[in-house]
Amino acid sequence: MGKPSMLFNRNIYLKELKRFRTSVIAWCLSIDVLILMGMAFYPILMEEDMLKQITAFFENPFMKNIMSAFGATLDVMTNVLGYYVTRNAVFIMLIGSFFFILLAGKILAQEEHEKTAEFLLAKPVTRLEIAWTKFTVFFNCLVLLNVNILVIGFISLEIFKGNSEYRLTAFLIYSFYAFLLMLTLGAIGLFLSLLIKRGRPVTNVSIGIIIGVYFVDVLSKVTKSADKIGYLSPFKYVDSRVLYPDYGLIWWRVLYFLGISFVLIILTLLIYKKKDILV
Amino acid sequence: MLEIETQGLTKYYGKARGIIDLDLKIESGEIFGFIGPNGAGKSTTIRTLLGLIFPTSGSGRIFGLDIVKESKEIKRRIGYMPAEVNYYEKMDVHELLRYSARFYDSDSESRIKKLADTFALDLKRKIVDLSRGNKKKVSIVQSLIHRPKLLILDEPTSSLDPLMQATFFDILREENTRGTTIFFSSHTLSEVQNMCRRVGIIKEGKIIAVEDIDTLRKKQLRKIQVEFTHPVDTDAVDCLGVIAPRADKNFLNFMFSGNMNGLLDTLASKDIKDLIIEEPTLEEIFLHYYSDAKENDGKA
Repeated sequence: MGKPSMLFNRNIYLKELKRFRTSVIAWCLSIDVLILMGMAFYPILMEEDMLKQITAFFENPFMKNIMSAFGATLDVMTNVLGYYVTRNAVFIMLIGSFFFILLAGKILAQEEHEKTAEFLLAKPVTRLEIAWTKFTVFFNCLVLLNVNILVIGFISLEIFKGNSEYRLTAFLIYSFYAFLLMLTLGAIGLFLSLLIKRGRPVTNVSIGIIIGVYFVDVLSKVTKSADKIGYLSPFKYVDSRVLYPDYGLIWWRVLYFLGISFVLIILTLLIYKKKDILV
Repeated sequence: MLEIETQGLTKYYGKARGIIDLDLKIESGEIFGFIGPNGAGKSTTIRTLLGLIFPTSGSGRIFGLDIVKESKEIKRRIGYMPAEVNYYEKMDVHELLRYSARFYDSDSESRIKKLADTFALDLKRKIVDLSRGNKKKVSIVQSLIHRPKLLILDEPTSSLDPLMQATFFDILREENTRGTTIFFSSHTLSEVQNMCRRVGIIKEGKIIAVEDIDTLRKKQLRKIQVEFTHPVDTDAVDCLGVIAPRADKNFLNFMFSGNMNGLLDTLASKDIKDLIIEEPTLEEIFLHYYSDAKENDGKA
């Protein structure tokens, strides 16, 4: 397949980066606002009156079960990192997943759908260069957004933590899982977009997939009997038990994400290399 | 030396026919007209040559390089104008042309300006705001920036006004004088006959003829309808050069390839009400040309 440097086309890279620049920045800012606003509630939650109400809330067994599906227990909710992760698990990871499955779904296929592929493929570039460079753009946006989440997440933890303590490594590891999840979902989006003729958008399918796998994960947490089906969902592989003393990177979880991403990206490159581009 | 050569080049889209068993030989430095009706396989041929789609069987070489394996090398030296121009809508013209130029190792800025001037193209306008004609002009410029050795033009003059067409043809002649080979696809013969030395005719995915334009021109085929004042038979006009006459009540339709004075002399002695002389469509020319040629072969 040649050396990676042989697969990279600077011209396409810069053009694509420019194309997605505004939307990545806009999504970064929205996520920043969500994180900061969400975390601003933490000190309020910790006020005595509020804490009593929450404790009572979690004493209700029904509520306790429901909340635990979202990873929220009393211990978790009262710890600043636990609180951050619970909010993150719901919002940031979902938003990021949507964004990246959609971005990856159109970064390559859009050339075909908007018929610009005829222009691009008449230029002296190989198919592999196009696909690899576009993947690089996707990957850079992914890194950018995740670094942004990391920075704002850390700042918000520091600002709002009050008396609560947290392990920085746990925060970093959790953020890395979230990054891997978005990478995997992006790889799924990229791969799917290639299976569709004439690059028609895979938006609906992609959104469906995210919602589907997310609820499979939630379901598996609510009911013990459905525990096993959770493993069908990439969300299940994000370890969110940040308060466990031995919380760390688990190799099979990491391997799961990297393995799926790697296989899908290689398949994408191979399919794109051989595909008839219909315009 | 051959610039383009295909051997048994065949493309099927699933079961649908694209092109069948195409053998083409285009020499370096020539202007070759590639003529056929819509859906005949012109664009399929071009897209296969460019590596947008892959041949089902057969092979092709451009500059002696394989169209599948050495596509990138080939495309360094090709300028391509697609039949329908689609560009990144958010870009402006200048951005698009620069983006296009950066794929080649050429100093482009002065060339972009010069070509834009020639075609009265406003570089600041957004692609999305351009008319079809203006998009076509952008397409002309982007195909020429890097001074390609081979120009592949797929119906390049559609939506260009006559003045621009003339400018465009001038530029093509200039490029050709410089040594550029031109592969010119069109659905009308009249469009390419002043430019090309040879034409290839494609019909239903197959090349049915490759001819010198002079040979075709000598045929000077015309489509003629004569309306008589009375019902007629097919032999109503007895003149050398009448091909395939068909009589329908007072009307006689035929193709004519011969001395026009002779025909008019013959008609002058008849009782006619109306006369229509048209340039036949390409399909008609070839249908008659080839049925005629076959008949002659048979007689010989």
